[in-house]
Amino acid sequence: MTKTVKISIRNLYKIFGDDPQTALKAVQAGKSKGELLEETGHVLGLRDINVDIHDGEITVIMGLSGSGKSTLIRHLNRLIDPTAGEVVVNGEDIMSYDEEQLRGLRRKTMSMVFQKFALLPHRTVLENAGMALATQGLKQANFEAEATKWLDRVGLAGYGAQYPHQLSGGQQQRVGLARALTSNSDIMLMDEAFSALDPLIRTDMQSLLLELQAELKKTIVFITHDLDEALKLADHLVILKAGAIVQQGEPQHILLNPADPYIEQFVADINRARVLRVRSVMTKGAPEGDVAGDIAANDNLESVIALARGKMDNRFRVMDGDTPVGSLNMTELMLALVPREETVAQ
Amino acid sequence: MATYDGLFDMLGLRSWCDGGEGGGPMSMADLLAKTGGSGDGATRLPFPSLDTLNDACTAFPQSRDLTVGLEEGFLSIRDPLRAIVDPLTQPLSWLLNGTLDAMTHTPWFIMIPLLMLISWFVGRSWKVVGLVAMGLGLLAFVDYYDYAMQTLAIIFVCAFICVLFGVPIGIAMSRSDRLQRIAIPLLDMLQTLPPFVYLIPLIFLFSVTEPKLYGIAVILYAIVPVVRLTDLGIRLVDKDVTEAADAFGMTKRQKLFGVQIPLALPNIMAGVNQTIMMSLAMVVIASMVSAPGLGILVLRGIRNLELGVGLIAGLGIVILAILLDRVTKASLARIDSSQSSR
Repeated sequence: MTKTVKISIRNLYKIFGDDPQTALKAVQAGKSKGELLEETGHVLGLRDINVDIHDGEITVIMGLSGSGKSTLIRHLNRLIDPTAGEVVVNGEDIMSYDEEQLRGLRRKTMSMVFQKFALLPHRTVLENAGMALATQGLKQANFEAEATKWLDRVGLAGYGAQYPHQLSGGQQQRVGLARALTSNSDIMLMDEAFSALDPLIRTDMQSLLLELQAELKKTIVFITHDLDEALKLADHLVILKAGAIVQQGEPQHILLNPADPYIEQFVADINRARVLRVRSVMTKGAPEGDVAGDIAANDNLESVIALARGKMDNRFRVMDGDTPVGSLNMTELMLALVPREETVAQ
Repeated sequence: MATYDGLFDMLGLRSWCDGGEGGGPMSMADLLAKTGGSGDGATRLPFPSLDTLNDACTAFPQSRDLTVGLEEGFLSIRDPLRAIVDPLTQPLSWLLNGTLDAMTHTPWFIMIPLLMLISWFVGRSWKVVGLVAMGLGLLAFVDYYDYAMQTLAIIFVCAFICVLFGVPIGIAMSRSDRLQRIAIPLLDMLQTLPPFVYLIPLIFLFSVTEPKLYGIAVILYAIVPVVRLTDLGIRLVDKDVTEAADAFGMTKRQKLFGVQIPLALPNIMAGVNQTIMMSLAMVVIASMVSAPGLGILVLRGIRNLELGVGLIAGLGIVILAILLDRVTKASLARIDSSQSSR
């Protein structure tokens, strides 16, 4: 499957301060974030970011607070302008856009969901959901059907006439999601969209997002500081640290092959049995001889352990649809559950 | 021999000093010194003020020259200034005259219900409407109805103009940090300048019989809070919400009217409330320059020592203040409850 690149970020730098251009040269010459702050008083926001965001995928950008992930996502619709570098959306460099084109991009091509919901408190839920269309100049009569459709879709049927402050946090974020969906843009930017929610509601919202995504195939850029959330949602995972990318790739791959101690530390606390999929730990090639049963390539290891009832000597045939693609024995599975660093240490 | 003679001799400035035209009018201090006899000159070291230096060196002006100069300067620009300002502010006179006429000539049985209706529309509270009816009834009962209407008319016109100009100025200030830096000291000055001082240049500029004289004084004094609170209110609008407005591609105008002003409205209304209260305060003082209304009666109380008239008029002003405050507060509460943000 060849995936088209929807958004391409090239050599992006962002430096906050009075004279970013001079500071940029220092950074490009190799000055670190700490040195830059100490010597010139400039804050390095992003350093040499290169990411390709593919059409129809969820790209998750993960990092701790201060890693620059919220700054990065704001470059995609130019809420923040970079110090250097380019952002190419649908083949066009949006840095060359004038105000009018930029508004068009924000209205039609990209929508955004915010951590703190950022709904308009003086408008009803329906008006909030239709905000993107109202901004394009549609009257309420014309966007009402579309807004109602998406409100129903996110589970808020019948709430249209209420005001945001009458809803719970989870419901408010559903309005935020409906607002982004109503704009019918191909790209959705989600800035820590679920971070302010209770854990249970967060899980609900993640499932809702995956469900919608299976149907809509939008290009989603999702920011989070929560690795569990990142692994659950991501097709492509980008890990940021102090404004630079530490590692990016398929999440399973990162989990099994962390590039540096920082990421190892991150993945150490993960429930690997639930996150790892059979396809990433199996032995390739259809197995010969006896197998204890068939498992799907996308099953997680937890379900395989349950299937084997804890026995260690089983071997399973891995199926992708109807074709056998590999085999997995329980010993391999158990080893995969142990983070790599510790196996080396022993 | 003046105290600082030696200084100028030492500096070799004597010839420059004597070049100045001597023999200016004597200052009050000079006169007193002459009549009271000289003190102990050796131990007395006066502050080197303009007058003292003038004694020693006539090239220095006397301090009274400063005030005289200011006055003459003002008088010299008065005519061109009047030529510009007079036509510009003429509509204010018409507006004030028209409103005063309308409010005093409309019979009470139309005016009082009309005011009650207005307070209902603004505040949507029967309690407040009742209060308005009671307050106005009381004033009318003691035969102060006409005066109260005159005061109200001036306040309505001035507060309206304050809002008309103050809100846009506040919006402009909220958008430009530089404008805010310039405007804030000006607003501070307008707010702290004693109310009487407003009247001084205005008396020179306009004829005392023109209503715009007190109109301008009231507006200058009362416009400050609405400007300040509009600026503050818009700056306090949740950054996340304005960011969302940007992210969905709103134009500046859509953002201003659809997001910023509605969300700043509680603060703007608080500013309007303050503006109305301050115009009430000023309209009383402005009665010194022929502003009609309850202030005239207060002034009469002071001038003619009519204790009763002054006190009742004062209480009448209190009643008006309470009415205006409650009506605008009620509308503020209404806006607050309809959009409590979280």
